[in-house]
Amino acid sequence: MSGAFFPIATLSTSLVAAAIIFLLPEGAFRARSGLNLAAAVLKIGLVAWMVRGLSQGQTYAVEFPVLEGLAFVLRADPLGIMFAGLSSLLWLFTTIYAIGYLEDSPNRRRFFGFFSLCVASTLGISLAGNLFTFLIFYELLTLSTYPLVAHRGTPKALAAATLYLRFTLAAGLVLMIGMVALHTLAGDIRFGQREILAEFGAEQRGTLIAIFWVLIAGFGVKAGLVPLHGWLPRAMVAPAPVSALLHAVAVVKAGAFGIVRLVYDVYGAELSQALGLLTGLAVIASVTILYSSLRALAEVELKRRLAFSTVSQVSYVVLGIGLFGPLGTIAALSHLLHQGLMKITLFFCAGNYAEELGIHRIDELDGAGRRMPLTSLAFSVGALGMIGLPPLVGFLSKWYLGIGAVQAGMPWVIAVLVASSLLNAAYFLPVLYRLWFCPGPDQGVGAWPQERHLGRFETSSWLLLPALATALFSVMAGLLAGLPFSPLEWATRVVSLEYLP
Amino acid sequence: MSQAILAVLMIAALLWPLALILREPLMAALTSRGEVRFPLDSLWSTAPLPALALALLGTDGSLSLSAWLLGGVWVLDEPRRVLLAFSALLWGLSGWYARGYLVGERDRANAGNEASAARLARFAVLWPLTLSGNLLLLVAEDIASFYLGFAVMTFAAYGLVIHAGTRDALTGGRAYLIMAVLGEGLILGGLLWGAGSLDALTLSELRQGLATAPHGVWIGLLLWLGFGVKAGVLGLHLWLPLAHPVAPTPASAVLSGAMVKAGVVGWMATLPLGESAAATAFVGLGRAMLIVGLVGAIGAALLGVCQRHPKAVLAYSSVSQLGMLAALVGTGLVMPSLWPSLAPAVVLFAAHHGLTKGALFLGVGIGEHPPRMPTWMLALLLTLPALSLAGVLGSGLATKWAFKAALYEGGQSALATWLSVAAVGTTLLMARTLWCQWQGEGQARLDGLTPLSAPMPLAWLLLVVSALALPLWLPTLGVAPAWPPPDELFGFWWPALLGVALALLAGWRIHRWPLRLAGKRPPAGDLWWPLARGFSRLWMATAPWLVRLAAVKTAWVAWWVALEEAGISMLDALGESETWLRRHAAVLMMVVAMGLALALLFSTA
Repeated sequence: MSGAFFPIATLSTSLVAAAIIFLLPEGAFRARSGLNLAAAVLKIGLVAWMVRGLSQGQTYAVEFPVLEGLAFVLRADPLGIMFAGLSSLLWLFTTIYAIGYLEDSPNRRRFFGFFSLCVASTLGISLAGNLFTFLIFYELLTLSTYPLVAHRGTPKALAAATLYLRFTLAAGLVLMIGMVALHTLAGDIRFGQREILAEFGAEQRGTLIAIFWVLIAGFGVKAGLVPLHGWLPRAMVAPAPVSALLHAVAVVKAGAFGIVRLVYDVYGAELSQALGLLTGLAVIASVTILYSSLRALAEVELKRRLAFSTVSQVSYVVLGIGLFGPLGTIAALSHLLHQGLMKITLFFCAGNYAEELGIHRIDELDGAGRRMPLTSLAFSVGALGMIGLPPLVGFLSKWYLGIGAVQAGMPWVIAVLVASSLLNAAYFLPVLYRLWFCPGPDQGVGAWPQERHLGRFETSSWLLLPALATALFSVMAGLLAGLPFSPLEWATRVVSLEYLP
Repeated sequence: MSQAILAVLMIAALLWPLALILREPLMAALTSRGEVRFPLDSLWSTAPLPALALALLGTDGSLSLSAWLLGGVWVLDEPRRVLLAFSALLWGLSGWYARGYLVGERDRANAGNEASAARLARFAVLWPLTLSGNLLLLVAEDIASFYLGFAVMTFAAYGLVIHAGTRDALTGGRAYLIMAVLGEGLILGGLLWGAGSLDALTLSELRQGLATAPHGVWIGLLLWLGFGVKAGVLGLHLWLPLAHPVAPTPASAVLSGAMVKAGVVGWMATLPLGESAAATAFVGLGRAMLIVGLVGAIGAALLGVCQRHPKAVLAYSSVSQLGMLAALVGTGLVMPSLWPSLAPAVVLFAAHHGLTKGALFLGVGIGEHPPRMPTWMLALLLTLPALSLAGVLGSGLATKWAFKAALYEGGQSALATWLSVAAVGTTLLMARTLWCQWQGEGQARLDGLTPLSAPMPLAWLLLVVSALALPLWLPTLGVAPAWPPPDELFGFWWPALLGVALALLAGWRIHRWPLRLAGKRPPAGDLWWPLARGFSRLWMATAPWLVRLAAVKTAWVAWWVALEEAGISMLDALGESETWLRRHAAVLMMVVAMGLALALLFSTA
């Protein structure tokens, strides 16, 4: 019973929550918040239980056939549960944040309903056991995030949401074509059955390579690989919790996670390397990292700069995949989590500045460190982590990427990493300088664009606490990386269990 | 037992400054509004005391923390103990000095100046943070902790450099930060490449493996230049003369005394010094270090004597001294067999220069606010560390002897002679510093004297004494520097005598025929200014290209959008034709039916 129960129960917590939220009236604030939080906590509990079970060697899987030779498979493997753990943990914080953020704004029922659906699809993506199931939830994610991006209903938001939909639906189509082609070639491949494709002979090489790049093009839109990243900075008009969710957990990560699954669980690292696919991935990722860092430099709006930073950071995951060898894999998997922790912190903080002080542009941040010290501290933690300074988690990712690159025989990647660190420093340090060192309205220079006093502390505690919590997580996950169940340790465990080439 | 004491002392040494940082916002929250508090109280100035205790009481040993980063290993051994002791002493006395130095800021804050209060609070937080980074990098043996300490120290010190917030301070801070970030990048590249090639997690694995690693020289080059930014290698030294004059005096003292040594510590920790396997591969790099170091040692002296601000002169003197240190480290690469006898001399040199330069910097502040003492005594006390740095007496004499003995032993008397030439430059720089201070001092005396018991003069006096007496108290740490035999003394005094003679000659010459140097004097930061101009020109030149590039990109996107629109309109056309079909379906059916009927008719016929 327990084998099938847990994946279904985990998935249905958010699905049921979504259904009930749609049924609840708009004004039922307490019931909706309570339900949201309860579902989030319950889901963390379920995922934690599965983590415990998995480390003791239990299996959690459920499947039923949909068509002849095509099955719907939900299975919790260490890699999937890692992503599920990230999404359920960050969902809790984002829910808390969203409750505070959307206080007194219209259409909260619609927002939280689709919000829960979005998380349900992310969870489905993480637990999917084959490409077919993956694709179902992947498309569900696309559809459930559209209303979130368009939430404000302004012409700009609608335009951005339409653009988003056009990009992602087209990508979904490409993905489906690739998937069908793969299915025709090899049948239903469960994630982890790497031997199926590995047995194909040399005459199928070309086909396999072509299908791979088609699938990468499909995943690459959500993962924001240059030149398919165009929707991402535009989607910044969404409310802050949505941006946080989009960038740290749901959409962008789903794309990166898809690439992880494709390389490690469908093709297998050895086959990908033998077909010469990994070097291509590393090159694309390097180009993305450098290009988007340069673009980020030119942005003057805080959230847009963060968006380009996401494009760059998510490509670290792809870069890690491109480095053949266990260390690159560890880097890729742990950066999935690390980037999530840091980026969600940054977006929470950006949202706090916008809500409390009406700040959207970087040059309005002067002196905000004195006015909102805790938020600014959390922001600094996230920013320094992005630059890759220890003891924050970003350093660990960079470390493993670097030594993974050397061991994969691609030392030029180190130059990319260093250049990216310098660029990150160039676009984050001026922000920190403005926060902490420039005199601002509190010292009598200028005025805040639109100051509101939302709470007893520097801002409402609903907004402040999630940012602090995720910042604390990104410090602790780096500082105590050697502890069991730290992201790095879990990634190492996944690699040593399954992916050691 | 001694291991437990070591562990406790080590953790206390690193955590105590951090605890003092946390105390600052707590105290600020506890004091009621309107009440004014001086954040640099006496408890605040105890930040480096546990580290000093660690250096004095800790036994040799290591502390492993498996949960920390990638696995932490912190070690205390003989060189680390010396470095730790002098750094903690310098930090402690400079912190105490700062309590007096920032009294003016406190008074302004008391008078209700918000900006002053903010600056004080910032100083109170960043000072212990920088200290904790400095201490961590000294005890760290694992690469991650070392890099952590280095980065924390580097970035936290930025806030100390720009403390005053003036335009010059911001320029100095910008130079500091840009160079520091470049250095961090080079170090990161070197460490990642090295650690990746060797699968190393600790500095000693890295150092030993680097000797034989493929591309080891390139890794070594990255590390030399990366740490060279801190250690003022010629060409990368630009930030020193820009940042030192603008930083608050106690911050300049620790910056020039303790923090730049982190670069030398970095070299000693990562480069394969004394590894005989490195003898062939690293000779080129070692020679480069040696030559660049010597050129820096002499060139910085020439640039420094043209400066007007005593702290800028002292900054160039630091570049010059660090050049000598780099030359010695380079010798260790060229002749690995010499390194075992040279290494203690380098450590001693670092400690001597750290304390003496600290005393000289604090002396600049003393010259600006002279204490109640006779002028001759003040002049003597200001001159003593200068003479010590020139190698005439005190710790300078012992240090010079330490490395000269090692060099003579290895048959490197040419290098020893060059270092003596650099010592002439040091003497000139010291003469220039004292002259600049002398000119400012007369005015300061008219402004009023401070009591001798105030933190500033007391901390300065203690630092002068402990710097001069370094060879006397170092034996308590288990290191006993030797004094040179009396017949060697002239070998140490001739550079100073020559320097004094040259300085007097130059002074006389300028007194007789005043030079018109306005505009010809090299500015502090020498190459920084042409480089900055060059970059702004380059930026101006590339900006139109960037605009063009953006236009190309826009055109490309537009082409795609147009393609998409064309596709959509084709779909629309299809839809319209379908509508047309639907509308005329009946007629069409009729036509088709008639056509079929006709066809049937004719086919049967």
